[in-house]
Amino acid sequence: MLERVLGWTLKPEGLCRDEVCVLVPDRLRLETENGIDLEVFGELVDRPVMVDREAGLTAVGAPREQRRAALRDLQAPDFALPDLDGGVTALSDHRSKKRLLVAFSSW
Amino acid sequence: MQDELRADGFETFQVIAVAIDGNVDAIRSFAADVSFPVLIDAGHLLTELYAVSNVPTVLLIDEDDRIAMPNWSAYGTDTFSEFTGVSADRQHDRIRRWVREGDAGISEDEARAAVGDLTADEEAARLHFRLAVALQERQDADGAERHFVRAASLAPHDWTIRRAMMPLRGEDPFGQGFFDLYQEWLDDGSPYHGLSGY
Repeated sequence: MLERVLGWTLKPEGLCRDEVCVLVPDRLRLETENGIDLEVFGELVDRPVMVDREAGLTAVGAPREQRRAALRDLQAPDFALPDLDGGVTALSDHRSKKRLLVAFSSW
Repeated sequence: MQDELRADGFETFQVIAVAIDGNVDAIRSFAADVSFPVLIDAGHLLTELYAVSNVPTVLLIDEDDRIAMPNWSAYGTDTFSEFTGVSADRQHDRIRRWVREGDAGISEDEARAAVGDLTADEEAARLHFRLAVALQERQDADGAERHFVRAASLAPHDWTIRRAMMPLRGEDPFGQGFFDLYQEWLDDGSPYHGLSGY
């Protein structure tokens, strides 16, 4: 689950994704008998996590650093979302273009 | 505007619309016959990544993935300019100038200072909103309501939370609830993550 959904793998050296590994000082907190504790995972990789135990549902937010880089360095974070044509469109599908991003809604 | 600028030789200008909205039918009727991609962001990823707190909001992103203009309160038409004092024409002229001349009309320092980071509460509100939407899909109305209430109390001035949840909770987003919310927002100093009246 950790690897398939969130892209991180727990290795002997820590939590790893691509070339980056995050050290895990207290493995017993992360690896519980019920599996990975996502709240501890969120702390380690700086992503907000909200667990609804009653519903058995967890929301994991985007890495905070992505947003902070956008605000601080004006570096646009990439994203990919379903489009009206039934496909998926990413900001990076239109790289090397001047882009006007419009957030709108029906409400 | 995309067609006009492309016809003028600015073929690499690209509009990308992102609906902060899971109501695909409503979005489809809005976006009939447009020539640019329209993305559906039912889980409000964009509002988290770019600290967006209201719509319509536009951003200008250049060829090198730099944000030339951060969250900028948008005026598609002049309907709201009596409220805001800003005309859609002025905004459209600025966008044209950026495409043609590369000048977004804002310094990097101004751009950096324009959008405050989300607070921990605003961040948590987005996760509660996402959980509420997921629970609605599971037909768990009570569970969804619990998270909607929590999201609203954590981010009381965020339209992408407060107004976006109105239709999901059976409330009219153009009815009295909207006007009450608008007054509440004005009374608290019109907080917005980005540039308005610009």
